[in-house]
Amino acid sequence: MNYGELFRALSPEAVLVAGALLVLGVDLALGRKKIAEARWNAAARTGILSIGLAACFTYAVGASGTAFDGALVLDSLTRATRFAVLILAGLSLALLPGTVRLRHPAEFVAIVLFATAGFTVMAAAQNLLVAFLALELASLSLYVLAGFDKSRPESAEAALKYFLFGGVSAAFLLFGFSLIYGLTGSIEIPAIARQIGHSPGSPLLVVALVMVLAAFGFKAAAAPFHLWAPDVYQGAPAPAAALIASASKVAGFTLFARLLWSGVGDATGQAPLWMLAVAILAGASLMLGNLVALAQRNLRRLLAYSAIAHAGVMLLGVITGGRFGPAALIYYTFTYGLATIGAFGVIAVVERAGRCDTLEDLAGLHRRSPLLAGCLAVFVLSLAGIPPLAGFFGKFLLFSQALRFGGLSGPAGGLAFLAIALSAVALYYYLLVLKQAYVAAPAAGCQDSIRVPAKPALALLLAAALLIALGVFPGSALGLAT
Amino acid sequence: MSLSPLQLCLLFSSALFCVGLFGALARSNTILVLLGIELMLNAANLNFIAFWRFGGAHAPASGVLFAIFSIAVAAAEAAVGLALVIAIYRHQKNIRLQDASRLKG
Repeated sequence: MNYGELFRALSPEAVLVAGALLVLGVDLALGRKKIAEARWNAAARTGILSIGLAACFTYAVGASGTAFDGALVLDSLTRATRFAVLILAGLSLALLPGTVRLRHPAEFVAIVLFATAGFTVMAAAQNLLVAFLALELASLSLYVLAGFDKSRPESAEAALKYFLFGGVSAAFLLFGFSLIYGLTGSIEIPAIARQIGHSPGSPLLVVALVMVLAAFGFKAAAAPFHLWAPDVYQGAPAPAAALIASASKVAGFTLFARLLWSGVGDATGQAPLWMLAVAILAGASLMLGNLVALAQRNLRRLLAYSAIAHAGVMLLGVITGGRFGPAALIYYTFTYGLATIGAFGVIAVVERAGRCDTLEDLAGLHRRSPLLAGCLAVFVLSLAGIPPLAGFFGKFLLFSQALRFGGLSGPAGGLAFLAIALSAVALYYYLLVLKQAYVAAPAAGCQDSIRVPAKPALALLLAAALLIALGVFPGSALGLAT
Repeated sequence: MSLSPLQLCLLFSSALFCVGLFGALARSNTILVLLGIELMLNAANLNFIAFWRFGGAHAPASGVLFAIFSIAVAAAEAAVGLALVIAIYRHQKNIRLQDASRLKG
């Protein structure tokens, strides 16, 4: 056991935790006399700095095999996930100054950094204990972030619902892990996969697998474990909702895929049972997400149901990625995260100027702020999958993989057709958002233009530019992930 | 029919898990829901200990280690959960889950 090697492997996380403590310390020492705006600026700046430093360390660590007796794996998937998570967390931190009216800026930024450290460990975990601890570090931080706005009862309610669903799913995950440990005698994922490959499948292992799938279904907001998502997206402060919707999904899907692709999922021999279960989750999420989103009048709930539908497409990527490599899945989750963070960023800025609950609150946005309306158009069209934006290319990659996977008649091909058909449905509710922003006239009483603070404006422009660049030159991002 | 100690432990932990799940789903008092979640986590801990003790020659102590870490996680989870219960109590002056229904649609 080599502790120098361990420290090198975990240097991005060490930087993130040190940054969190630094943010708290600086605010404690210097923040008392400053106004809230300056404190938010200082905290966000320190947070973004430590995230940037963590990205440098991630680059330095590279893809260098395993560390700490195989508990951590540093491969190209780890590196790509870490980069994606750090970029998404940095963008949601940049949304903070000037948009939120929360007290305690340093605490918010520090908890975001702790959650990010959890995400980056999830990206590297190859051991059930490390995976569980990282997942819980991230989840507990996200519960706190969801309930951070103490002045609004909706925020507390969202956090409580998130916590109760999350707690039950954590218990399912732990129980599933304990059965896997008991049946295979190991908590290392490769050793478990080897053991399962040798011995014939046992019914207890199927129970364990179902429990683990249920827990990950919750994490990914896949139907039928999606019930928390609309409430949390609606009640949480916008930057917290952005983080919950984006970075947590990227990290969760990497961990999930690593567990299943390693062979742990092949509990029943030739026909992998997990593929069938994941296919059912994917189909249910696609149907429910897209159809219920049609009925939504609340912008945040619409984004939540669109997130459920996107989770269905990502689960399709989990099925096919084991054979074709993780690049397409990572590309899709990352570009989805960018678009969602952007959408929540627009919501945060509009909320600062007034209300932003229903779709009608966006009415006449292009007259009130052309910048916001332009960015919103990029984000929403990318979510809908319109070329040349990155969302289109992500969908194209995943669907073509699914069609190559088992031909047209296989379950993956069928799901791909379902997803393509439902994309047309999705286009309708995405265009409803843009119709309000571009066609409808501003409501009486809120016609004055919206001032966009500098840092959030920069974050929105960066996210939109990334979506366009990744859509036009997808090869560069895919090269990083393979 | 006689059961081995491992089977007895597994039966007991499964029962504990089901009791906890029932509590988490059926109770309307938030604290009792938290207790239910705690029971489910402890059922899993019991599994780890039982598999480590009775499950043959395994890697040294990884089951016990897992249990110790998950106890610590459960403590952190209880802390966050109780803080959220207090946050909801401040707004609605009770902790009934039925009353926490502002968000819907």
